[in-house]
Amino acid sequence: MSTTPTMQSRLKLNRPSLRRLARPPKQRTPLGTAFNAANLPVALALQHCRDCGSVQYPPRELCRQCLGDALVWRPTSGSGLLVSRIELHHSLWEYFKRRLTEKPWPVASVRLDCGVIAFAHLALETFGSSSPAILAADTPVQVFTHTDCSLNAVMIAVAAETPIASRSQRHAIAAGLGLLEPAIKPEGI
Amino acid sequence: MKDYAGVALTTPVSFGYARQSPRGAAWFIGSTLRQLLAESGLGPDDIDGLAVSSFSLGADSAITLTQHLQLSPRWIEQMPYGGASGILALRRAARAIQAGDAEIIACIGGDGAAHRSFEATAANFSNFTIDASFPYGGGGPNAAFAMITQRYMDDFGARREDFGAIPVAQRYNANHYPAALLGHKTLTMEQYLAARPIAAPLHLLDCVMPCAGGEGFLMMSEERARSLGLDWCRILAADELHNAHRDDDIQLRGGWTEYADRLWNRAALGPTEIDMLQTYDDYPVISMLQMEDLGFCGKGEAPGWVRDTDLRFDGSGPQTRKLPHNTSGGQLSVGQAGAAAGYLGVVESLRQLTGSAGANQVAQARHAMISGFGMINYDRGLCSAAAILGRSER
Repeated sequence: MSTTPTMQSRLKLNRPSLRRLARPPKQRTPLGTAFNAANLPVALALQHCRDCGSVQYPPRELCRQCLGDALVWRPTSGSGLLVSRIELHHSLWEYFKRRLTEKPWPVASVRLDCGVIAFAHLALETFGSSSPAILAADTPVQVFTHTDCSLNAVMIAVAAETPIASRSQRHAIAAGLGLLEPAIKPEGI
Repeated sequence: MKDYAGVALTTPVSFGYARQSPRGAAWFIGSTLRQLLAESGLGPDDIDGLAVSSFSLGADSAITLTQHLQLSPRWIEQMPYGGASGILALRRAARAIQAGDAEIIACIGGDGAAHRSFEATAANFSNFTIDASFPYGGGGPNAAFAMITQRYMDDFGARREDFGAIPVAQRYNANHYPAALLGHKTLTMEQYLAARPIAAPLHLLDCVMPCAGGEGFLMMSEERARSLGLDWCRILAADELHNAHRDDDIQLRGGWTEYADRLWNRAALGPTEIDMLQTYDDYPVISMLQMEDLGFCGKGEAPGWVRDTDLRFDGSGPQTRKLPHNTSGGQLSVGQAGAAAGYLGVVESLRQLTGSAGANQVAQARHAMISGFGMINYDRGLCSAAAILGRSER
């Protein structure tokens, strides 16, 4: 940590809370970047093992069942059941901190039918609900990915019967969550 | 499994708890070591083994610390196991002493708490965290534990006031432990229930407060402890299991279920013969999982069990069943000093069993059970560990 005034003021100005635009977490590992690329053309792509067929998530180097080195990205059904759901009122990340000033941020944990557990942004409107606490455990849901404004693919969970076949339908849901626009500090910096 | 005969745990030290600190991890670890030496009357060259746990060493490690602190150990371990670090350090060190690999081992957990350092730790905790959990709201560990708490409430009908019994009783204990960062404040159930939401269903007083601090103890042979005139306690049983129940959709049980019976058998004790229980209480639901899985009550019964059990250190509560729990206030009232929090239960038990606890001393304490839990890689804590310690018959 420098003690010179110049560096101190630089560090101060570099605080995320003082930036005009805040975006969702940009950082990913190389496997996370591969997930982003694989999910560009489809609603949901996950790694499948060519040897034993098991599906992987979070992205892995090797198959979690057979330790095989034959994982390929394939389009995957996003249907599953709600394992748990929460409502964040506090976040460590500036983008979410700003979104949280409007309303709490709901997050779901979903068990996909292919056997993996995924965290996902929860599109509560598709359930006709205003609070995740009202949703019961094991509620059927669907999960798809969309690219957020940090250019990363993120999971989004919606009610089972929600139409998400077309790109525009998925885009509208992602936009409704505010994921496609940075959070702007309204009063300026 | 071979027993831990002949091994002594001694010299409990808790050092320098602070909400925020510009000091680095080496300062907290080194200062804890200095206090260990001062209290045991040993010199730096008497320490020939070092086990260290920390999240904030940055580019440093256990081995670079040896030069920083000018130690020459012939046995070294770095234990990056979060809330299980203390018990795992204890197990490793006990074996090294039995095997003669080292004679006196310092086990130390220490972490700094620089401005905004918690944010960086949470965002970079592991590869799974980076790719698949932090991007979903940036909630850090709160998010995963809120998921577990919500599902526990769904499946077992637990209510917020059930969870509240744990932090409220612990705060009473912390009111008698001067080093607890929140020990100057009292806490009632009404205050607990009125706290603001953080990651619903978790509210402010369900969440630990990250802080800086150090915890440490020494391990050596019983003969050595006796000749140094130190009070010590023995390890009656200890075990660990990691990434257990890996196909469960959500963590409503931990690895303890797989070895709790063996642990009780080896110690030749049952839950009613335990004089104090120190669970890893980063969130109340996790303490409940440990109580259930270690056999104090059945699965899903912890809400009722906690309601009917006096968890205060002095047994001053109205319930007839007494079990002093997290007798220094636990992390929920003392603060979570990074990896030092994984040593908190061991150090506190050691103080209690050697009769050096002070105002929060449990009367007639002979047996302590300590449980560790750690490392939320993605959606669950991977490490589980538990130990039963006994007072030595000097």
